[in-house]
Amino acid sequence: MLEVKDLVAGYGQKRVVRLPSLSVERGACRLLLGPSGSGKSTVLLALAGLATSMAGTVTINGVDLSRLKPADRDRSRGRMIGFIFQDLHLIPGLSALDNVVLSPFAAGVMQDRGRAQSLLEALGLGEKVRQRAERLSRGEAQRVAIARAMLLKPSLILADEPTASLDDTACGVVADLLERAASETGAALVIATHDSRLKARFPLTTNVERLHE
Amino acid sequence: MNRFKLVWAFISRKPLTWAFHALALALGVAVVTALMLVQEGLQSRFKRDLADIDLVIGAKGSPLQLVLSSVFALDVPTGNISLSEAERFSKHPLVKRAVPVSLGDNAMGFRIVGTSRIYADIYGGTLAVGAWWTGPMGAVLGSDAARSMKIRVGDSFAGEHGLSMGGEVHKDAAYLVTGILKPTGTVLDRMILTDTESVWKVHEEAHGVEGEGKADAESHAHAEHEGEAHAHETGEPHDAAGPAREVTALLVTYKSVLGAVMIPREVKARPDLQPAVPAIEVARLNRLLGNGGEVLQGFGVGLLVLAGLGFVLTLATAVGQRASQLALLRVLGARPLMLFSLVTIEALLLGLLAGVAGLGLGWTAATFAAQTSVNTGGPVLALPPAGLREVWILGGALAISLVAAIGPAIAAYRTDPARVLKGG
Repeated sequence: MLEVKDLVAGYGQKRVVRLPSLSVERGACRLLLGPSGSGKSTVLLALAGLATSMAGTVTINGVDLSRLKPADRDRSRGRMIGFIFQDLHLIPGLSALDNVVLSPFAAGVMQDRGRAQSLLEALGLGEKVRQRAERLSRGEAQRVAIARAMLLKPSLILADEPTASLDDTACGVVADLLERAASETGAALVIATHDSRLKARFPLTTNVERLHE
Repeated sequence: MNRFKLVWAFISRKPLTWAFHALALALGVAVVTALMLVQEGLQSRFKRDLADIDLVIGAKGSPLQLVLSSVFALDVPTGNISLSEAERFSKHPLVKRAVPVSLGDNAMGFRIVGTSRIYADIYGGTLAVGAWWTGPMGAVLGSDAARSMKIRVGDSFAGEHGLSMGGEVHKDAAYLVTGILKPTGTVLDRMILTDTESVWKVHEEAHGVEGEGKADAESHAHAEHEGEAHAHETGEPHDAAGPAREVTALLVTYKSVLGAVMIPREVKARPDLQPAVPAIEVARLNRLLGNGGEVLQGFGVGLLVLAGLGFVLTLATAVGQRASQLALLRVLGARPLMLFSLVTIEALLLGLLAGVAGLGLGWTAATFAAQTSVNTGGPVLALPPAGLREVWILGGALAISLVAAIGPAIAAYRTDPARVLKGG
């Protein structure tokens, strides 16, 4: 599913982080560990073809995004990868449902609003479908972000510090949701985190190496 | 989900900011629209009122004043000319038509014009009801005048001295309405026509001229109406055989182009007369009005430029504030061109709203100006119909918005999600 070998990633000409190897199968989860500022987010962005990969290879279902033309890379990223950010990045002014269908809209594929609604209902947001994003609680917004990442049945779900600043209960709920998202979509799940609470839940971990340049 | 919905979500986050900038653009559009409408309305009105009058012969003074008062019913006359001089030019072999005009009184603000029936022919005026007068003190009213005065055929009314309301009422000299004209869309609609004899009669009675032969009989009677010439203010003294007859001006149409060469020269040779060519005076007036119009139009364009700059700054700020949302869209698979289009659509949408609002405001202002002009006795503005002008103005508003959007749209296009979203 996801294969990474000797990845060195950064921005522009600046090398930021190294990931010797990473392999995640369909439905499995791997934690990407490292302290704050170690370059975990940069690795996630490199996996999605957004940060510059200076060395090594990244393949998702055998496809190396970095070798694709920009237009194909954007399209493939939208269809193959679901992203969940610590800050969630829901768009205020749009309803929960519209925030979920933002992913097919941006990827330029058909918007299945029925499936989006079903996902929200399955995540316990049946009554919040038309609620504007800015009126959702943090927990509700988190589930909307997860539904958005799941909608296109991606091959890979990348989650960046999804449990940061959450209490233990909320952390457990989010971990459940992420695990459920991966198993229901059959996606490989990579969670970039420095939250030790997740280690108990997802024992497979990989550490990133910060490069000092 | 579509781009418009997404853009609207962006706009709805800062409704007051956008409303302010849209209003600024709308005001600029409104000023430009209103000015164009008023200018076109005035020019169209002047052109129609000018009809085929080639020359105005009147007393010496400002030729523009002579034309404005005699043709457009706007200013006070320069004075009067003797009837004998007027008749002399009426019978000139190079004159096709000569219409005498005698001014001095009004009724409810509508000018009473002592003239002949031919005056109505200049503007193609025909009777809607009633008949033409058959003698002095009969009056035929233009359509606007009749409607405003709520007067019918068979009714009577008294004139007031002067060309605007508030003058001495000629109580003992009532006019009888014999006819009402159909609307013509010209100055004729606001006129009260009567035989020239009526004007003479009213003022002879008002002055008590009964052959005393007092040389100052005319000048004292209406001294309170300073600046307003009168049918006999500058005339010769009345004598025992009756007063010297005068008219205010003579509206002349040439028989041939030779008239344009000969007649003004002959008029200039007369000591008390001056020729005024309406076409030249209207051009002069347009230049005068044009200067003021240009200043106002410059103000409108300035508003548009300021609104455009406001758009640039606000869009640039908005793109900066939405960096994470734009980056998210890129992460979700959006191409840079989509981000460019979102900013462009946002600017065009606001430009369209502001443009439509500005057109509405501009039309409202022009309509108000036209109504005010009528109510205050100014020229009746015939506002031109909406058409290509509005398309151009709307296009201009959209073009300003588009130009304003280019920089911020390029910034959105260049959004680097990796830089925006990088965390730990």
